[in-house]
Amino acid sequence: MIARQMFEEFKARFGPLIQRADLPSDSRLYVFVDRSAVKYVCQHIFRELDARYVASIGSDDRPFSGTFLVAHNFAFDKDHLLCSVLTQLPQDDLKIDSITAMVPAASWAEREMRDLLGIEPVGHSYPKRLVLPDGWPEGKHPLRKDVPWNEVPEGYDEEREFKFDEPPEGCMVVPFGPFHPTLDEPAHFRLYVEGEMVRGCEYRGFMVHRGIEKLAESVMSYNDIPMLAERICGICGCVHNVAYVQAVEDAAVLKPPPRAEYIRTIMLELERLHSHLLWTGLACHIVGFDTLFMQSFRIREPIMWIAEKISGNRKTYALCVIGGVRRDITDELKTELRAVLDKLESEWRAVVGAVSNDRNIQKRTRDVGVADKLLVKSAGLVGPVARAAGVDIDCRRDLPYAAYDRVDFDVITAQSADVWARLVVRMKEVFESIKIMRQCLDKMEDGPLQLEIKDELPIGRMGLSSVEAPRGEAHHFVITGENNRPRRWRVRAPTYQNLQGVPAMIKDQQIADMTISLGSIDPCFSCTDRLETIDLRSGEKKVWSQQELLQMTRKKEP
Amino acid sequence: MSLLSKLEETLICLKAGRVTLPYPAQAQPLPEKFRGRPIFDATKCIGCAGCANNCPAREILVYDVCQEVRVLQYLGRRCTYCGRCADVCPEKAITMSLEFENATNQIGDLGQKLELFMSTCQRCGRCFKGAAALDELKMKGYRSDDLESERWVYRAHAFLEGEPAVADIEIELD
Ligand code: SF4
Ligand code: SF4
Repeated sequence: MIARQMFEEFKARFGPLIQRADLPSDSRLYVFVDRSAVKYVCQHIFRELDARYVASIGSDDRPFSGTFLVAHNFAFDKDHLLCSVLTQLPQDDLKIDSITAMVPAASWAEREMRDLLGIEPVGHSYPKRLVLPDGWPEGKHPLRKDVPWNEVPEGYDEEREFKFDEPPEGCMVVPFGPFHPTLDEPAHFRLYVEGEMVRGCEYRGFMVHRGIEKLAESVMSYNDIPMLAERICGICGCVHNVAYVQAVEDAAVLKPPPRAEYIRTIMLELERLHSHLLWTGLACHIVGFDTLFMQSFRIREPIMWIAEKISGNRKTYALCVIGGVRRDITDELKTELRAVLDKLESEWRAVVGAVSNDRNIQKRTRDVGVADKLLVKSAGLVGPVARAAGVDIDCRRDLPYAAYDRVDFDVITAQSADVWARLVVRMKEVFESIKIMRQCLDKMEDGPLQLEIKDELPIGRMGLSSVEAPRGEAHHFVITGENNRPRRWRVRAPTYQNLQGVPAMIKDQQIADMTISLGSIDPCFSCTDRLETIDLRSGEKKVWSQQELLQMTRKKEP
Repeated sequence: MSLLSKLEETLICLKAGRVTLPYPAQAQPLPEKFRGRPIFDATKCIGCAGCANNCPAREILVYDVCQEVRVLQYLGRRCTYCGRCADVCPEKAITMSLEFENATNQIGDLGQKLELFMSTCQRCGRCFKGAAALDELKMKGYRSDDLESERWVYRAHAFLEGEPAVADIEIELD
């Protein structure tokens, strides 16, 4: 009973500052603490108990409890426990002690909380706007319940430019982005360079925030949201689809039938295969090795085809509804999938064999973009970035979900913490995925695909779900609500954490290594911002003014 | 040895040969379960609006223009081809087709509109889908008043053409 033990320990240590707790199962712990104690409880959990920081969530709970909620989520990976430290803030005093001094990884989440809900993190180390544009009026917080989903507040000045920090003494500024830095998505880095060396940077993202969470909380319903969640990311859509559904199932204590769990596992691994191959290709492309870029994509294609056969689409599987899955994997498909895996395995083995000794790639990637164990801990880095630094974490094993508790696999780690290590980790993980899928195909039992849900889902329950996406842990938090939709749904994509580690990774290295360093975390800006990219193609050469571009992107369809 | 790995890489490329498919010059086969554009079948649809209630993209509108005529309008603009509508349809009136090359300059091309004849229940006064086409034809929705020549006109087929009978509903499409 590790959750209970943990709770008893908190009580013994902090006494009456711990108000109450909810222990729905042995893998979840929700502790409500007094506002004054949040900082200390988090410090205790993060430093002394050495838990991993996952996410911070703010929520407007005024219509229900008259307060605002703040949650800091941590993972005890070895104990298979997700722990949420919650506190309620009275609506007339929205101040909370920032935890960034002890947990630097919470920096973005607290800034986001302030922008979107108006919860002030007191003592934040860098309290600049993160999500809202600079022209957004003060005091307007879009995630509050009394703000409609489509409101553009009065006084919004869309022409206002971002205000950047002053570069340090002796440094030049090199703008990197906002269009297509490394990958075809928008984000902006202002690099401070001294000669060829990068000395620091400022990040500006969240440029076309889609407001997916708001939409879900105010317009959609439980079973609509999986299709929306899937579109958070163009690479790991299925991950968000499953993570959302699992979070709701966790909150409502629903257990999907075993066959559905196996199918989820198979599809998640299929997605990992395509993502790892895609990323390996792109990483090679970034360092100028297009041969392998082409070959990775060639080897990847049959994965897309089999996904299309199973789900009806090569990328958007539209797999889950609450309580199950929508597609079956028939015996025929099983045979085909096995054949695809066999071919992939032998082809990928050849690629890995060749690349492992390729000195050109190694020269570009060794000792580049180093993110060591300390950085992993403090910035909360996840996935292959963490594993490449020797941090042995993997939600599939540590916080098991779907059918991962019924399969055998190894968690691949490396030690050198550089881009090369990430490449090695991801290349090897392909074989583990194949192994997992084969076991699932063998073990999959017959049975229903969906749970029959007869009653309404309970209201006001909390649910957590961590899913190991190809690029790291994706974490979803749900509070169930009225009107057949969640009250609060918060998504923390892996890049949200990993991007926060980039400034430290690129510091004091050559500017030419910037692209691969950034590329090596496999950044997904659309997940991070939950925003949309706009693709502008034009045959003729023309310099667009900002005005024209804005007009063009905003032109309504006829 | 790096030279060796270069050779291995060359071998991988040579072995693969040419893999580019002659698309779009030649159509590629699509799997059976492919989710393309949903196609609505007016002869099967009973106007229950189950699809409209479950469409995540809110792409389907169902409204009554009068007691006898119910319109199902599929907008096709934001449709993500998720197939939820086809899943929930009790009458299997929606097929996820194999159509996916749907680029168009006229977004309206993608829409579909069914006009469904609904009979009136003699007890509750609500409308329901009539049992057989021949029975339906006798009822009010299938005739229109031709005031000029002071007579009724029967319609010859199951769909009303042109404007809906009452044009007093305004629906915001975007
Ligand atoms: S396919 Fe999905 S998005 Fe399109 S109409 Fe059907 S339910 Fe709506
Ligand atoms: S298409 Fe099917 S679900 Fe939609 S209204 Fe008709 S019968 Fe109902």
